[in-house]
Amino acid sequence: MIRYALTRGALLIAGLLVSSAIIFLTLRVFPGDVAQLIAGTQADPQTVEALRESLGLNKPLLAQYGDWIAGILRGDLGTSQLSGASVGAELAEKSRVTVPLGLMALAIALLIAVPLGVLSALLRGRAGGTALSIGAQTLAAVPVIWAGMMLVVVFAHRLGWLPAQGFPRSGWATPAKAFESLLLPALTIGVVEGAMLMRFVRSATLQAAGQDFVRTAAAKGLTRRQALIRHGIPAVGLSIVTVLGVQIAGIVVGSVVIEQLFTLPGIGRMLVADVGTRDLVKVQSELLVLTGFVLVIGFVVDLVHHAVDPRQRAEEG
Amino acid sequence: MSAPYPRRRGALAAVGLLAVGALALSACSPSGEPKPTASVAAEPDATLTVGLVLEPTNLDIRHTSGAALEQVLVDNIYEGLVTRTQDNGIEERLASAYEISDDGLIYTFTLNDGITFHDGTALTSADVVASYQAVKSDASVQGHAEFADVASITAPDAQTVTITLTKPDQNFLFTLTGPAGLVFKKGDTTDLKTAENGTGPFALERWAKGSAITFDRFDDYWGDAATIGEVVFQYIPDFTAGVNAALDGTLDVLTAVDPNLVSQLEGTGDFTVTTGRTTDKATLAFNNAKAPLDDVRVREALRLAVDHEALVEAIGAGQTLYGPIPELDPGYEDLSDVAPYDPAKAKKLLKESGHEKLELTLTIPSFYGTTAAQVLVSDYAKVGVSLEVKRVEFPTWLEDVYTNHDYELSFVLHVEPRDFVNFANPDYYFGYDNPEVQKLYEQSQTEIDPDKSAGLLKKAARLVSEDHAADWLYNGATLTAHTAAVSGFPTDSINSRIDLAGVTKSAE
Repeated sequence: MIRYALTRGALLIAGLLVSSAIIFLTLRVFPGDVAQLIAGTQADPQTVEALRESLGLNKPLLAQYGDWIAGILRGDLGTSQLSGASVGAELAEKSRVTVPLGLMALAIALLIAVPLGVLSALLRGRAGGTALSIGAQTLAAVPVIWAGMMLVVVFAHRLGWLPAQGFPRSGWATPAKAFESLLLPALTIGVVEGAMLMRFVRSATLQAAGQDFVRTAAAKGLTRRQALIRHGIPAVGLSIVTVLGVQIAGIVVGSVVIEQLFTLPGIGRMLVADVGTRDLVKVQSELLVLTGFVLVIGFVVDLVHHAVDPRQRAEEG
Repeated sequence: MSAPYPRRRGALAAVGLLAVGALALSACSPSGEPKPTASVAAEPDATLTVGLVLEPTNLDIRHTSGAALEQVLVDNIYEGLVTRTQDNGIEERLASAYEISDDGLIYTFTLNDGITFHDGTALTSADVVASYQAVKSDASVQGHAEFADVASITAPDAQTVTITLTKPDQNFLFTLTGPAGLVFKKGDTTDLKTAENGTGPFALERWAKGSAITFDRFDDYWGDAATIGEVVFQYIPDFTAGVNAALDGTLDVLTAVDPNLVSQLEGTGDFTVTTGRTTDKATLAFNNAKAPLDDVRVREALRLAVDHEALVEAIGAGQTLYGPIPELDPGYEDLSDVAPYDPAKAKKLLKESGHEKLELTLTIPSFYGTTAAQVLVSDYAKVGVSLEVKRVEFPTWLEDVYTNHDYELSFVLHVEPRDFVNFANPDYYFGYDNPEVQKLYEQSQTEIDPDKSAGLLKKAARLVSEDHAADWLYNGATLTAHTAAVSGFPTDSINSRIDLAGVTKSAE
């Protein structure tokens, strides 16, 4: 187990390094820079050059990359070239919107996916099961942004139940309002992600139904359905954990779009704005944090899997 | 050497305003008649909530260009010796009086009494000298180029500041109404990107990035105290969301209302909508240095082919403009006779120039509405020009068009007042080089008599228009909606300056 954790950990660090290099390089293909933006359209070239110099944009790429990584190793995510604010502090502040949004979306996705997925497996071959399957298939194909707009039209405009945009200025100091303003966005991501997850739960459940231990249980006198619910579903849980890792990445991506649509001051919107202003030091740190987050989840999922699943340990020998 | 770039303000300004202006320009609602406001007593401690579109990226107005910054900070937080009225006139602010010597070289300012910074320190002429010295000596400070002709800045006594120029500069006083003229405390260590230490009637209370900036009244203000207790600038980048926020009572004032959405606000009867003049010039730039646009017949044809009246109507607000100087700036003249709508003549000119069929690309920053580009595509199609519209992010526009001059046609709203100099600068992205215009501009700047100076500008502007150096699609207008409880909110030029000094809010 320890050997596995060490190997897997080394892989995590290598993954982070490679991602950092990819993030750094791909951002450099954008035309335009923050110095020109700060200087404005009436600035003379010398001024822009002086600004570029002072922002360190004239340094060789390798030196810029080295500075950035050295900062990260010291725990310093850098400073925005535009606003002068600490990237870490701003990430922390924006995560107060994005993290609750992600958790709510995840909860909604699970609430939809698990019961409906199992149900649709149990109803396989019947009209109800087919309907559920088709519904999930359709919903999973819906672009998040379109789902969001539909929900806004219905719940905000028609019914007037929920706010269509914004986050209260007072933030979580007014928890009810903050919660309300996250509900529609979370529902948007949750429904779409939930539909995708539901298809997975269904097929995992069906697979479990074919397993020996379920058949054995059935042979001992349980009905097929009882056997599936008592013995099959706990086994399904483990594979759901794995898929959740992927789902979380989907939720992070979804939040970028959704925060834009609902004008939520979260990490996604910050990222889009920073790309727009070419605040690249900030963008690369933000992207690395997000990538790191997804990679760490994958790492944890693998470790859990390894610890819990006897078959994997056996393979390791 | 004459300053090649006398004015430098805002890319972001351009952006913001543009966005604002572009939208503003898109609908034509007659400006709402101000409703008689019931004479309810103003609440001295009221909170005024103002909806704005473009949030500043930081608060350092000394080093960052941008109208979003000037709009809220100048006059409210920071002040200069002189300031600008809504119609771009110049009036005293920190200075109680100023005098310009007969030769136009020596400016003497007398400071008002009892001015203090928000940290309580008294302001003296030494602070003014230090602030202006920094503009003169530090290339990274906004307005540096405009101080090129400043020979010395001195303080004969604590109440007096003297600035000596090497040659007369008709624009110098106006320069002092912008960021270059603002006065900061000598040796201040405040981090200006996130905090402030100005002298204005308001002090920064809080900035929740991505959401709102809050100002509180500064009770020790040297002049007349502000008539509201608190101002919240709420940033709402989406125009529809802005209107929704106004309708649900979140906002007292909404600036830069999309003309297409005005009826929603007016329909409720709760809002008065005003139309404000601006110096926003929706400029269709031609790359004068590059074929086929180096041919004046092609440029003229491209201007004659545009139905400007119809375009303004499609945009929804603003007015036609046929030259580089808008109504609010010195040297304005109606130049509509230079390029009246005449597609037949346009076709003829194109044929003469050997471009009966022409393919051109229009590079446009992506935050502008699509209306102007659509009108151009259809107008040009009628004369045999097929226009490809290339929408790019603003930094890309800055690099490709502005810096590298790699474009054919470009659309940007140039918002800066008095920026005629761009047509007198052959290195500017227009690529327009006419020595006669450059000479006239230079003369207009060194001319001491303002009327004569304006006359010279007018002559130069006509030349530029007759050369068809660019096309001016319209002069933007900006729509502002406010509730009946609000009075005294400025109307004109508010995309570059929102002076809140006289604004009141009643209990309703």
